[in-house]
Amino acid sequence: MNAISILMHFLSNKYGSYQIGAPEKEILQALKITGKNKAYYFQNLLINLSKYIEPLGLEVRYNPIDSHWFLSFDSELSDIINANPFEGKPRLAATLFSVLVCCLQNSGIGNIQDIKKLRNKKNVIEDLKELEKLGYIEILKDSSQIELTPLIGYQLNIEQLFIRMALKLKNLG
Amino acid sequence: MIEDNILEELNRKIKDIHDDILEGKISLLDLELVPMFNQIKDSLNIDNLDKHSLIYKNTCELLNQKFDELKKLLSSLDTQEKFAKYLNTNPTDVEIYELFDGCWNKIFTLETLSINFLEISKEKLSKLIKKSYSIEHLQKKDEGGVFILEVPKLKFSEKMTEFFNSIQSKLPCSFDEIFEGDSDQIKIFEKFVYLLHLLQLGKIKYQKETNTLYK
Repeated sequence: MNAISILMHFLSNKYGSYQIGAPEKEILQALKITGKNKAYYFQNLLINLSKYIEPLGLEVRYNPIDSHWFLSFDSELSDIINANPFEGKPRLAATLFSVLVCCLQNSGIGNIQDIKKLRNKKNVIEDLKELEKLGYIEILKDSSQIELTPLIGYQLNIEQLFIRMALKLKNLG
Repeated sequence: MIEDNILEELNRKIKDIHDDILEGKISLLDLELVPMFNQIKDSLNIDNLDKHSLIYKNTCELLNQKFDELKKLLSSLDTQEKFAKYLNTNPTDVEIYELFDGCWNKIFTLETLSINFLEISKEKLSKLIKKSYSIEHLQKKDEGGVFILEVPKLKFSEKMTEFFNSIQSKLPCSFDEIFEGDSDQIKIFEKFVYLLHLLQLGKIKYQKETNTLYK
């Protein structure tokens, strides 16, 4: 058992339905890395692991929603093996977009009314229920709010999406 | 020589990038800097360290500028109004769907590579090693010759038990007390071996801090 094999285990492990990988703190504890340079050692480990797994088409990624580090196939391979869960379902993708806009500005929780407004549709409940089935959101008890699960942070490169959105807005002038 | 050419090429490239940015031909956000850093890394050697430092510094400046550009871009979007403005243009579902293009990751999980499995294996192995082994007494065969080594009359375990019985009344006592009065080195060594074996079998224990043997 060496540091790379332990790291590989932590980053590729699945916890429940919505969580994958592990946060930095947990990995540092398992590897017994302490001291003021621990962040540096951690980054170094991640870089070394990245080099090992790169030929396999894998990369180390970070989920900003739950601060977990995890493994995914690189973007080229993800495109080939069709990682898009909304293939042929543009309606759901559009609702998810409104959900993201609402939730990410409000610590992961969004009002269904706001989503309706953004989506410019009277009824989004069916879409939200479907997104809940897919594991991306949870409709809260009083049914007026929804909460993002960490899953979308693993499957979607949110930063890339916002850059694409920004470029789109730029082009719109 | 090849490295020098690469350095010249990199210098030229950095200058061209600066010119192109100033002329508005390119945006740093569209520029891939990783290949440049790889080129610097691959051509680095002791002789060209000075020149490399400067090129590395210039490339890092480009990277910082790229980060700044990205920050500006993101902060300029950081209001719900901007998103709402876009959504108010009534983009079609397909148009929004296309925004997600190239943004999906296929997650990689490998539950079979389990740390629990590794831990269980380690425990099994340590249990195997822990198992005490038995010392078999040698059987003397009468071959009619003369041998230098004599097979002891008593079995090792019997001798060890005899030693254990002899020190039982002293316990707990200091480690040195066991060897008190012994001047014969062979005898001391023999007792030491019995002690080690008794410690391994757990019949007696040793506390390092106080140098004490106890049951």
